Amino acid sequence: MSKVDAFPGGKFDQLFVNLGPQHPSTHGVLRVGLTLEGEVITKAEPDIGYLHRGTSKLAEARGYHQCVALTDRWDYVSAMPNNLALCLAAEKLLGVEIPPRAQHLRVVMCELNRIASHLLFLGTYGIDLGAFTPFLHAFREREMILDLYEMLCGARLTYNYIRIGGVMADISPEWASKTGEFLGFFKPRMKEYDDLLSFNPIFLARTQGVGLISKEAAVDWGLSGPNLRGSGVDYDVRKSDPYSGYDRFDFSVPLGKAGSCWDRYYCRALEMRQSVRIVEAALAGLPEGDIVAKGVAKTVKPPPGEAYAHVEASRGDLGIYLVSDGGPSPYRLHVRAPSFVNLAILQEMLVGCKVADVVAILGSIDIVLGETDR
Amino acid sequence: MNIESLVADLAAKVPGVVLAADPSYVKSYPTMRLSSAAYLLPAASFLKERGFDYLEIITAVDWLGPVSPEGYTRGGRNPHPFSAPEAPALVAVKNPAAAYKPAFDMLWCLANIPARARLLLRLEIPREDPAVPSLTGLFKAADWQEREVFDLLGVRFEGHPNLKKILTPDFLQGHPLRKDYVHVKDRYDE
Repeated sequence: MSKVDAFPGGKFDQLFVNLGPQHPSTHGVLRVGLTLEGEVITKAEPDIGYLHRGTSKLAEARGYHQCVALTDRWDYVSAMPNNLALCLAAEKLLGVEIPPRAQHLRVVMCELNRIASHLLFLGTYGIDLGAFTPFLHAFREREMILDLYEMLCGARLTYNYIRIGGVMADISPEWASKTGEFLGFFKPRMKEYDDLLSFNPIFLARTQGVGLISKEAAVDWGLSGPNLRGSGVDYDVRKSDPYSGYDRFDFSVPLGKAGSCWDRYYCRALEMRQSVRIVEAALAGLPEGDIVAKGVAKTVKPPPGEAYAHVEASRGDLGIYLVSDGGPSPYRLHVRAPSFVNLAILQEMLVGCKVADVVAILGSIDIVLGETDR
Repeated sequence: MNIESLVADLAAKVPGVVLAADPSYVKSYPTMRLSSAAYLLPAASFLKERGFDYLEIITAVDWLGPVSPEGYTRGGRNPHPFSAPEAPALVAVKNPAAAYKPAFDMLWCLANIPARARLLLRLEIPREDPAVPSLTGLFKAADWQEREVFDLLGVRFEGHPNLKKILTPDFLQGHPLRKDYVHVKDRYDE
């Protein structure tokens, strides 16, 4: 954090404004130092690290199974893909083959988590822009998914459900029927969100043509997830580098056109529909069999080696680089957190924008600070 | 895209870049090794021209040896966080099979989105005053990722326009992901 100079360079037509770290629209502890000239931003400096817990360092003193619990704390609004990414990397090191039933369960849980995460985005983005009602609708549905997770593994946010070698618990017939009920309830609701928010004229006026990211800039800055696809770049890890048997499911990757806040928003709205398709197909074709691979010990000691695994988490390309020296804990764990990489573009993107649009742009990037800071 | 022909082209164009001895050492992606930091920029710009314009990760490994437990304890009052039998030993145990050496192994991962291909670049640099050229001129995604490596491992990226700490607080001394890091008491320790 740098010293605040309210009038940078002693110029009185410039004003320094601190956005955050406590600010309702920063969705966590993000601070952005804005330099304004009138209403226009001339400099933006995102300042992160307020939530840095050093999980990479912590992992170096814990066993591999214990590290899965650390991953829950990165992107705490959608923790399943975090679990999955670490397990995939560890399984590559161990050379374990995952039973098909566990693969399907992983896909189901990750996609339900994507819906839950996008619902949180949809609700809070509405609030950021002054629409309160969609928030109540979105959270009603999100609660149902969290209830399903509670029924499944006892936790609502930090699941620790996907384990090295498989998953923690099998689903019960009641869980499957409740999930079917939820999907039946949820599908018509997506039209409701469109009526309430997506095509609301006030919402459109605040988001369309605002915060434009070109295709080239999106790739150059390494954006991923709906932020990249909102600019029309067809990149989804589930398609381009399939894992957990995603290549067996039929789904499409929604793309935006203009790269505006609205495109990024609507990509997420459309992605929820695709996630519903995947969940339905995965549950319908759920194979019988084991949920944990045989031969994964309580203390795993992978042979010396390195592995890189990445998944399409709710916020983008979550990569795990894991190094083993043959010991009981990871020698090195590096996390490519999508929120961290996505956030960097703010310093360029906000320059030239009106200060009133900052909240719309910040919200549309959909960051989780737990993941940004790790 | 044919990754073999790309690898051959790159090796022909930039002589200091060769396919790693075990090309899939980083499971399960093709890995090329740079013989010196001078080859990084030519190799990266060659790959960028060939469509590898998405910089996925920049990171580094400190190969000094397993971490010393002092790095985790805050003062003498708190013992090592885990005492279960499975937990790592209190004293760092070196595995004879692992290749420890006083060096940082850098890693860059570049991806070609339309071709669905990715390539890893490795470079070994000494632990004393570690420095590599910055890729910020080629990829803007390098900006914060290089700052992160600088902050946590203390590798300098030469040519980076804004190389300063990003994750750890200003008062924190040292680079926490270095294996010989020892926590220095600060105002949050009693």
